[in-house]
Amino acid sequence: MVNLIEIMDRALEGPFTYENDFDLNIFVPKLREVIKKYEIKYDPENPLSCDDDLADRVFKAGIELFADSGVYCIDTERIIKFTEEEILEGLAEAPCCPVFGEGNDAKALVARKPESDIAPWCFLGSGGAAVSDETLFESILEAYALFLPLANSITAPTIKHIEGRLVRTKSPLEILACIRSSILARSALRKGGRAGLPIMNSIASAGTDTAKIAGSQFGLRPTDGWLIGTMAEMKINFERLNEITYVMNLGGHIVAETAPILGGYCGGPEGVAVANVAYHLISILLMKGSCQLTFPIHFYYGCTSVRDVLWASSVSAQAISRNSHFPSFINIYVAAGPMTEMCLYEIAATVINAVVSGASIEFGSVAKAVEVDHFTPMEPKWASEIAHGVIGMTRTQGNEIVKKLLAKYEDDIPNAPIGKTYEQCWDMKTKQPIREYKQLYQKIKAELAELGVPFKF
Amino acid sequence: MKKEEILKNLLDAVVEMDAQKGKDAATLLIKENYDPLEGIENGLSEGMKVIGEKFNKFEIYLPELMMAAKVFDSAMTILKPHISSDSKITQKGTVLIGTVKGDIHKIGKDLVAMLLEIAGFDVHNIGEDVSTSTFIEEAGRVDADIIALSSLLTTSMASQKDLIGILKEIGQREKYLVMIGGAPTSQKWADDIGADIYGENAERAVSLALEFMSKKQKS
Repeated sequence: MVNLIEIMDRALEGPFTYENDFDLNIFVPKLREVIKKYEIKYDPENPLSCDDDLADRVFKAGIELFADSGVYCIDTERIIKFTEEEILEGLAEAPCCPVFGEGNDAKALVARKPESDIAPWCFLGSGGAAVSDETLFESILEAYALFLPLANSITAPTIKHIEGRLVRTKSPLEILACIRSSILARSALRKGGRAGLPIMNSIASAGTDTAKIAGSQFGLRPTDGWLIGTMAEMKINFERLNEITYVMNLGGHIVAETAPILGGYCGGPEGVAVANVAYHLISILLMKGSCQLTFPIHFYYGCTSVRDVLWASSVSAQAISRNSHFPSFINIYVAAGPMTEMCLYEIAATVINAVVSGASIEFGSVAKAVEVDHFTPMEPKWASEIAHGVIGMTRTQGNEIVKKLLAKYEDDIPNAPIGKTYEQCWDMKTKQPIREYKQLYQKIKAELAELGVPFKF
Repeated sequence: MKKEEILKNLLDAVVEMDAQKGKDAATLLIKENYDPLEGIENGLSEGMKVIGEKFNKFEIYLPELMMAAKVFDSAMTILKPHISSDSKITQKGTVLIGTVKGDIHKIGKDLVAMLLEIAGFDVHNIGEDVSTSTFIEEAGRVDADIIALSSLLTTSMASQKDLIGILKEIGQREKYLVMIGGAPTSQKWADDIGADIYGENAERAVSLALEFMSKKQKS
């Protein structure tokens, strides 16, 4: 596989292009060309696709898009390109079962297939949403360890204030936030009895390479996951390459985060599906990832639970899982907040869509990750129980359930309720959800069982 | 050719994203001695309105918006030199927009910039990772009505607060309307830091900008 030094050579010597030209004269026309060539067409009637041939065409289109467009390096204004042979070689040599975690919590992450009998990896928590301070950060992490038995790894929130000061990027406050994230997360997971549980979105509070690397010196392990993101669409910069270089030399795991925007340069759902495949290849070849975490998001609604994003996620997850052994996650962002019916419906639809299509899940964010402290352990618990409930479900069955769930919440997406905060939903003394939330949870669980989800937990 | 027909061609050129059609119609408008200002306001701008409506209905996306804007610009290049000095293109106001220091995200900010332009604002997009002092200097230079600050990171939001604080310190807070937006921001954050406008999404940013400018012009 092409190594990091060769990637740097290409970043420094590849074709020079203005960024706007890359966007509008290279990426967009090529994407449109492959959508047309491979006859990829959005089907709003079936948000969870059941079409194997479509999935395979999307995969071919993604390879062609990546081979022809490459990745734009913002710092050098050059394109890092890979040949089709290198891409196929990368796919063949990609990691297939990286082991995350320690002791009893150590586990191999394996790629799944559509309708797979293999349990999805449940990467659970708050997906980088903002937590107001260190005290609540530690509290929620401990609650995750105690309350999420199906968690295979943890996704922590972003600390917004350090000792009452608003954290600022590129400042000592950011470095402090990252250091304390590592220290507090580790100790909270230990207190919650899951000391070996991997933290897989390290480090949510980091905006810069300096903060991420500095923070990781204070308790992260090579068996955790360093979350490193590309920029939309198909761009990278030196800061991210610096992080990749560091983690590779440490022998750690890179969780390659990719986030095509529906409504942005990808255009509609067809473009997002194809771009997601191209990002899968970028995760392997350029980012040197141990897995891909993709996060297709709607430009207007800011969530992943809308119909066109569900379709794009489903089709690309099937394209990837049918044609690659490199593990892939779908990150879940919903519009409504904690302790609302809508939030639980949205989570159910997005999780069923991802798991039945062959992906594992990161859960995730509620209330679009906009409102501070709007998360509780109940939403990731719900996501994990749904995820395990639909193992082995057929796409046809999954599609029918997703359609029924969409009918319950779709019209409310523009004005989704923000719900309650962690402290409003959680009894901090007994470390349990309040009664009202438990009742709501059981009510919606009974509804989902009625709709055909065979809960195992 | 009749004026109405040329104006329709200008409108269609934008909607169809056909640069050559736009240039041809603009050239013909000048050749026939029609008012170039009318070509802009009743042809090209009307076309951009249609594009804006299609975008709001999710019938088209960012690439189409940018292509339509390119057609608009290339026809404008032909029409603008012929506008007499006593005529003036009607603008809804001047907006200075950028992504704050420490943040290099651009797509959302570019979208808002484009939709503001479609709505009739004179927009100055000063890019990403922009320092607070640059925002203030540039706002003065272009005589902005609105300073629009985008932030996509929880850790870069503080720069939105900084700008408002510095405007107060230097006695310029009343001079500008400050709009904020970006994924981690909220109405509560806007209220906490004293921003005038919270653009929850691109469409809302534009409608509020229009509403606030209308109030400003009346007062």
